[in-house]
Amino acid sequence: MSSAAVSVEHVTKRFRIPLDQTHRLKYRVSHPISTSRYRELLAVNDVSFEVGRGEFLGITGPNGCGKSTLLKILSRIYTADSGRVSIRERVSPFLELGVGFNPELTARENIFLGGAVLGLTRKQLAERTERLFEFAELTDFADQKVKNFSSGMAVRLAFSVAIQADAGILLMDEVLAVGDARFQEKCFDVFAQYKRDNRTIVLVSHDLGSLERYCDRVLLLQKGRLVADGEASEVTAQYRRIVGAMSNAEASSGTAALAAEHRWGAREVEVTGVRLLDGDGKPQHTFLTDQPMTVAVDFRVNAHVEEFVCGLGFKRSDGISLAGPNTKVARHRIVASEPGTCGTITYTIPEVALLGASYLLTVALYDVHLVHAFDHRDDMLEFRVADDKGRMGLVDLGGVWHDAAIEVDKGRREAIAG
Amino acid sequence: MTAIADPGTLGSAGTPAVTLPAPRPSAFHTNLNLTRELAVTSFKLKYTGSVLGYLWSLVKPLMIFGMMYLVFAVFLLRGRAGSDFPVQLLVGVVVWTFFADATLTSVSSIASNGHMILKAYFPRWILVVASTLSAAMTLAVNLTLMLAIGLPLHWFHVGWQTLLLPLLFVELYLLILGVGLLWSALFVFYRDLGHVWEIILQLLFYGSAIVFPFILIPSRWQPWIALNPLAQIVEDMRRALVSTTIPWSSGILGSRLAIPVIGVLVLFALGAYTFRRLTPKFGEAL
Repeated sequence: MSSAAVSVEHVTKRFRIPLDQTHRLKYRVSHPISTSRYRELLAVNDVSFEVGRGEFLGITGPNGCGKSTLLKILSRIYTADSGRVSIRERVSPFLELGVGFNPELTARENIFLGGAVLGLTRKQLAERTERLFEFAELTDFADQKVKNFSSGMAVRLAFSVAIQADAGILLMDEVLAVGDARFQEKCFDVFAQYKRDNRTIVLVSHDLGSLERYCDRVLLLQKGRLVADGEASEVTAQYRRIVGAMSNAEASSGTAALAAEHRWGAREVEVTGVRLLDGDGKPQHTFLTDQPMTVAVDFRVNAHVEEFVCGLGFKRSDGISLAGPNTKVARHRIVASEPGTCGTITYTIPEVALLGASYLLTVALYDVHLVHAFDHRDDMLEFRVADDKGRMGLVDLGGVWHDAAIEVDKGRREAIAG
Repeated sequence: MTAIADPGTLGSAGTPAVTLPAPRPSAFHTNLNLTRELAVTSFKLKYTGSVLGYLWSLVKPLMIFGMMYLVFAVFLLRGRAGSDFPVQLLVGVVVWTFFADATLTSVSSIASNGHMILKAYFPRWILVVASTLSAAMTLAVNLTLMLAIGLPLHWFHVGWQTLLLPLLFVELYLLILGVGLLWSALFVFYRDLGHVWEIILQLLFYGSAIVFPFILIPSRWQPWIALNPLAQIVEDMRRALVSTTIPWSSGILGSRLAIPVIGVLVLFALGAYTFRRLTPKFGEAL
């Protein structure tokens, strides 16, 4: 495609992390023949994509996935080990690493220096400084030294310079971490204007909501590889599933801390275990909103009990109680068998309404009056729910949206028209 | 973080924040502009915040001059140095100050500007050139003052030979750039080289006959010392500006004059080559 503003073909970047202090002359002198030892890190692995002119591309992925490295390769700060990058427009980068200002210079002097780096002449900059300060909301601080700026002020100034650079392509790394929500909205206004001018924006971000809202297309990187490239909402959904799967892997590898359980009761009937199962009956620690989930409580009867009640408690990890179903309320009777028998009680949720967060599960066995605890295991198990749609709040209420044209009062309409 | 973009505010916020691309200056123009901005900035930075400000760039060489004059002309050499020795010393110190300033700042010019290198791409050699230019500005002021005071007082011996002076400054500047490019690139990876360069500077200070007349060097040694480009440059500058009784280095070296001159060119080429080779790795090393 010749119309692409950026094209990246099979780009690979390795970092060699030295194991010895080879950059010291002392080492070089004392180990004249040793070749340096390195640990290799494949930061970007055979990535190819194109960005069309006027396109707003998002790049996301877990920490250390190589997205920032990729952006630095596009900015020509790093050089790819292999592959080709071609960029057909001037680039204005805004990268995470510091602001690039000299703290001893005033904001105005820094603008002239930073602008020159981005290819602007003194004259062009002089025409824009006032507007630039206005945008950065720093008009009153134009002649203050940058060392006296707060980090937010400095970053706002840097962003304002970057967007003034007359560049055909903006490369933005985590720009959404800049400033308050209002300034972020201003940033996106600028991006919208860039788009209208048929200029290209590449935005690296963790903020899936913003990516969905503004990007035409999103790339998902994982361990240096490009694993998805497509419509923003599809790719962010995939990313949310991956995050879920990753915490699952953590849980099964035993790294996820078990909840700090608090247990009491005489154990006439005992909870011997609890399992969370997905729709296929496989044990899971992470579930997707809208997917089925089954809680299986294993119990053993230790003493003569006629009947007992099983209750569950769902809490978000910050302690907010969300639901407390039990067999008594549900009029489901559990009649105990002889001591020594074991059994399983299951509670099946057809569609999990919980949204993305960590949750704690409490399991309790009580007498039929819910007074005497046989076995109460508070915060017995921790599990996660991932939501691939980015819904807000605690739960999906399951409501359905409809709309209809609103009837306008006839007299009023005439009044407006007249 | 639940704010939703209001499409009505897009672009209608009064003054548009983005300007449409203006006619783009050429790469040469852009680089020149950046070089100038950087040089002016570092010149400014060097002297802001100090009470005497720019005066320091005059005070420092004058202090060195005064000390060296006392030690060599008054204590050690007495009359042996010749009556024009103070002026020779002054020229030597002014040129030396330029050389030392320019090389010291250019050696660290890449490593100390990591914040800019990691921010955006621009030709990295501009940092080296700009750092030498701010020293060159100091030189220009010092030279102007020296000539403004010295010419009416007949310190100098101006003639046809003086025309060679600009050429000698070109040679000096190439030497500085060669050192700057080579050392600044290597310094990014081997920080010890900063100290190494300071030692080399000390050696050059005494090995280039800055603070004593060249002719005082035993004649057996003269051809060897003159092979050092800095000694050759300083000596020829003195000859061109101060006194026709001083021998040209070509008189001492004969056809071997080619050695320091070609040496400067080779050093420059080596510096440029090394710098070019190492440039792509700066981003990671900083």
